[in-house]
Amino acid sequence: MPSLSTVLTATRIIQDVKRCIVIPENDVRQLCFLSQELLMQESNIQLIDTPITICGDIHGQLHDLLTLFRIAKDPPETKYLFLGDFVDRGFYSLETFLLLLCYKVRYPDRIFLIRGNHESRQITSVYGFYDECLRKYGNANVWRYCCDVFDYISLGAYIMGASGESGGVFCIHGGLSPAVEKIDEIRLIDRKQEVPHDGSMCDLLWSDPEENIPAWAISPRGAGYLFGYDETKKFLHRNNLSLIARAHQLVMEGYKEVFDHGLVTVWSAPNYCYRCGNVAAVLTLSDDLERTYTVFDSVLQDCNEIPSKKPVADYFI
Amino acid sequence: MTSHDYIQPVRRILTEEDLTRWQSSESYNGLVAFIVRLADSVKGKELGTECELTPSVKDILKVLDSIQTIIGRHPVVTDKDISRFGKVEFRDFYDEVSSSADKLISLIDKTSELPGVSKELKVYLVESWGNRTRIDYGSGHELNFMCFLYCLYKVGILDLESDSEALVLVVFKKYLDNMRILQTKYWLEPAGSHGVWGLDDYHFLPFLFGAAQLAPMERMRPSSIHIPDYVDMFKDKFFYFACIDFINQTKTGAQSLRWHSPMLDDISGVKKWSKVAEGMIKMYKAEVLGKLPIIQHVFFGSIIAAPEGVSATRDLSGIDEEHGHIHIDHDPDSNLHLNTFGDCCGIKVPSAVAASAMEKKHFRPVPFD
Repeated sequence: MPSLSTVLTATRIIQDVKRCIVIPENDVRQLCFLSQELLMQESNIQLIDTPITICGDIHGQLHDLLTLFRIAKDPPETKYLFLGDFVDRGFYSLETFLLLLCYKVRYPDRIFLIRGNHESRQITSVYGFYDECLRKYGNANVWRYCCDVFDYISLGAYIMGASGESGGVFCIHGGLSPAVEKIDEIRLIDRKQEVPHDGSMCDLLWSDPEENIPAWAISPRGAGYLFGYDETKKFLHRNNLSLIARAHQLVMEGYKEVFDHGLVTVWSAPNYCYRCGNVAAVLTLSDDLERTYTVFDSVLQDCNEIPSKKPVADYFI
Repeated sequence: MTSHDYIQPVRRILTEEDLTRWQSSESYNGLVAFIVRLADSVKGKELGTECELTPSVKDILKVLDSIQTIIGRHPVVTDKDISRFGKVEFRDFYDEVSSSADKLISLIDKTSELPGVSKELKVYLVESWGNRTRIDYGSGHELNFMCFLYCLYKVGILDLESDSEALVLVVFKKYLDNMRILQTKYWLEPAGSHGVWGLDDYHFLPFLFGAAQLAPMERMRPSSIHIPDYVDMFKDKFFYFACIDFINQTKTGAQSLRWHSPMLDDISGVKKWSKVAEGMIKMYKAEVLGKLPIIQHVFFGSIIAAPEGVSATRDLSGIDEEHGHIHIDHDPDSNLHLNTFGDCCGIKVPSAVAASAMEKKHFRPVPFD
């Protein structure tokens, strides 16, 4: 059970984030410490039971995350699993991540987070989250606190149906790794580190399914692999799974099942980067692992802006 | 130049140390000076201004026209699979540019006096249009087009005295027009996009050149980018406003630049265009020429020489994404089934040897998210 002070802090930050009020640096630090303590106790692969609502990439699109919670109901009413990529690109990466952390420390058994390839120092310093923190706070401290939390986020989840008959669901941000045959092997990874450049931990966060190849191929991303039909089928069989649920790739329809419904990509950032015109989706698994997709669109954003501490980049002074 | 040995350009910048060497190299300084010179030449000049076109500039325009024709030959037909954002027909366009690169270069008459020069020029020209595999485009590809022009200047085909203004107002304009067609037709994904935290999804230089055009303006302030009438009035005259117009048209879901382009919104608070123009050059040096994820893709040959002391090329390893296509059948010693796409070169497949050589190397290019 979270302590009373934790509950109060989390509840206050949740309210402030929803109103787009800037969260003081000290509160961010405190929340990050609380989250670390909680996350470090989780195993690399979390066992979660149904019913569960699975969400894909958010990428700092706070308004769309709030829409998601409105449509699928706020935690703790609905139990959630987020497949990573909370940050980068969008305007509100920090607030998005803080909101998820608040819910996590407030309702640890009702929301689960796994790590995406963007939850990394190297990637966030290139794709926007670092710039966002610097602009909002005038220094990179909150970025550092968040990156320290990233290292503790677990890598995947295993969902078993209440009936226990049909195979379970394996949830991961990216996909398969040629170095991982059984899910149990993932439990042996020392995950508390920056995402490595290669190896199984990297692959799990970076790989993509590819319909036109049977097995493995090098990924054009420069990290992880492309994996095809055959490898996916073998992995499902070997691990007694009915489905691999992953995120990591924009799909215009919000979700896409491939490989005879053995793998699904779930994407939860509608109109990605204000330009892609895609819809978003979440996947709800019932007790007998029946899949229901809820599709939603972006909203015109109408909340206050977080004021900038560093309004004009130094180049223009 | 009578007999000069042109060489196959390769990528050489791999580590932070390489990047530091690059930033103090002759190639870097030359390229920066070239871009600054081009920007200076259009101060106060509008697009559409009559300017003298030398035969070589006209030849480059022929190249760009031919590329536009190639775009026209590859319509988007596979709409049935709409899951992917980028349109796969971009690869057909790219392949045609790639296979006709020598012919395209030969349209520039003076290249015939420099045997072998095409070997270097065509790498930069082909790289200018985006990445074939990922179907994306970013400021690194834009930089390749600058490298292409810089090479033409270095080998003596272009003359900055007579050509600078036309290179920006006519040649770069034409390049940008082609890019806008490619971006909208094939839905090119923004390469390495910082999302809302970057200057723009695709481009940097039209902002740099555009701010230079506007630099002498005292009355109209940078904040005027927020006024729709101004954007409408100036979008055909200044690159900067053309870019704002493009953003306004393509970004949806937020009513203001503040949300989808906070950087441009910030810059609009600067008092004078001359400050914006100076800032753009500083920012280009830091955010494009000073960033490893971009510079690791820059090619070096004999015209743009590799900085002294940088890493050996990684392009010979077979991991290279676009050049020296290597196809290898299943390697029995490897636990990976190496297969290529049916459409040839869909995804690069390295040899197991090259792959393990890469494992040993700790330096890996920053991946594309």
